[in-house]
Amino acid sequence: MTSSAAHPPARRWLGPAFTTALLIGIAALLLTRGDPAVTLGIFATRFLGIFIEAAPFLLLGTAVSGLLEVFVSREDIVRWLPRSRLAAPFVGAFMGFAFPVCECGVVPVARRLFTKGLPMPVGVAFLLAAPVMNPIVLVSTYIAFGFGPLLIARFAITAAVAILVGLVFALTARPEEVLLPASLAPITGGSGAKATDRPRLGPGLIRAAQFSVDETFDMGRYLVIGALLAALMQMFVTQEQLIGIGSGPVVSVIVMQAIAFVLSVCSTVDAFLALAFTGTFTVGSISAFLTFGPMIDVKSTLMFLGVFRRRAVAYLILIPFLLTLLAGVWLNLLLR
Amino acid sequence: MHTNLPYSTPAPSRAVTIAKAALLFGLAAYFAYTIVSGSLTNYINARFAWLSYVAAILFAIGGAAALLALRGGPRTSAFGHSRTSLSMLLMLATPLVLGTLIPSRPLGVDAINGSIRVGAASYGAAEIALVSKSPLDRDILDWSRAFASEPSPSAFNGQQAKVLGFVYTEPDYPPNTFMVARFTVSCCVADASALGLPAYDASAGVLEDGTWVEVAGEFQAGDFLGQQTPVLHVAQITPVEAPAHPYLYP
Repeated sequence: MTSSAAHPPARRWLGPAFTTALLIGIAALLLTRGDPAVTLGIFATRFLGIFIEAAPFLLLGTAVSGLLEVFVSREDIVRWLPRSRLAAPFVGAFMGFAFPVCECGVVPVARRLFTKGLPMPVGVAFLLAAPVMNPIVLVSTYIAFGFGPLLIARFAITAAVAILVGLVFALTARPEEVLLPASLAPITGGSGAKATDRPRLGPGLIRAAQFSVDETFDMGRYLVIGALLAALMQMFVTQEQLIGIGSGPVVSVIVMQAIAFVLSVCSTVDAFLALAFTGTFTVGSISAFLTFGPMIDVKSTLMFLGVFRRRAVAYLILIPFLLTLLAGVWLNLLLR
Repeated sequence: MHTNLPYSTPAPSRAVTIAKAALLFGLAAYFAYTIVSGSLTNYINARFAWLSYVAAILFAIGGAAALLALRGGPRTSAFGHSRTSLSMLLMLATPLVLGTLIPSRPLGVDAINGSIRVGAASYGAAEIALVSKSPLDRDILDWSRAFASEPSPSAFNGQQAKVLGFVYTEPDYPPNTFMVARFTVSCCVADASALGLPAYDASAGVLEDGTWVEVAGEFQAGDFLGQQTPVLHVAQITPVEAPAHPYLYP
């Protein structure tokens, strides 16, 4: 396969388009604010904050991805996972307990699993659920909110949305319509080790580290562009401006979804941030922040583009947005 | 060793491999520098500093793995497009370039841009921790929590306080009134939010915006921009150096 085959013509404009949009945004920022040096400093601080916070999780994700590449075979994946199309998303929604990764780390892991033959609906449910449905986030949410409605809502809504989206994808699309060619499992053989031909530990680890390096550069570019975009958006729209838009049962949910999307805060720590909103916002809107944000934010959207076709990415954003919105509004009306 | 990889790409050139290794070691060094210099807390909540140790180590391991690849022969890759391109190198170089060329500074008065929370701010169950904290040890965040837990601003009348923050003013503030402000950071500066206590200093003019000060005084309920809130009446105000950890962590 050649590079151009992996990046069909329709996708070739994406990189330049994002870069141009970023440069225009940064230029507008520098021209419309006071001292350009000060503005650039604030922008850099916000960007580096997101990058420094997210990079460890990306690296852990790519490390897992490298280990999977070398030590897990396609036969293993086929043996471990259910054959039923309808049961698959249920397994995917809970796979985060085996691969505890946040939204930055989950993308390289999911992509590697796809190349190993992971059924597409399992991977979709895993991708959406794992940033919340894992032990680390369970503990951090418990520490922040204790055992109560928000903890239950976060996990129940995330699981329900991930399973529903997985089912929608299972019933309406074929893998080749959803995944980019490079994310698809080959028709024969399989990526990485065969179950009967595993490498020795030492050379295997070196090989895994080298695959991880490739993955870090491939996924890292999406993280960097996403972090630049998120920092840029934050320079133009502040949290307080979004909060000022409204606090009704519907608008408050949309506002918190927007805040989650723009802030792109890691799911392992976002519960502590959500605490700050508990006095200002409705329970439904906080639950939307805690469920929609880990599934979809600026940087994860960019990273999805490295795995899925654009139309699939659009559905991956739209369906969770609508479902978490509905769940949030329902909670607001229920707890009124 | 298995040989059934589906996609084979030519081995990356020696120059690209060296560039990758250099970038990864550079990022490892940058993370290590932010930790050693203390500038890490300009970017993230100190609670999560250990994650940057992990990042520094993993970047260094990645750099070493990239260098080891120079010894080997042609290598196959799992993805047809995973051959590292120039754009990927440039993207990963971006944080290194910005972090190196732009001096590290915490968010300050210039980053507020009119968005500052005044007085009461709720941070959920954290109010409980206030019970064991002496009023003179409370910071701006503690006082905001205390205000949020008490509906009547006059309940704080006469209470002594000593807080650290930077001076922030807006043109519509009443005369001799300013905010003692800090940024709160839950995760990283992406969620940074400015929080301020209104302060009134009858004896002198207000210091320049952004000046770090320690302010001692007592609270009296008063009107601030149409809102009844405890206002800190200044008994003593002392310009101080910016603290090593400039943000407050909810």
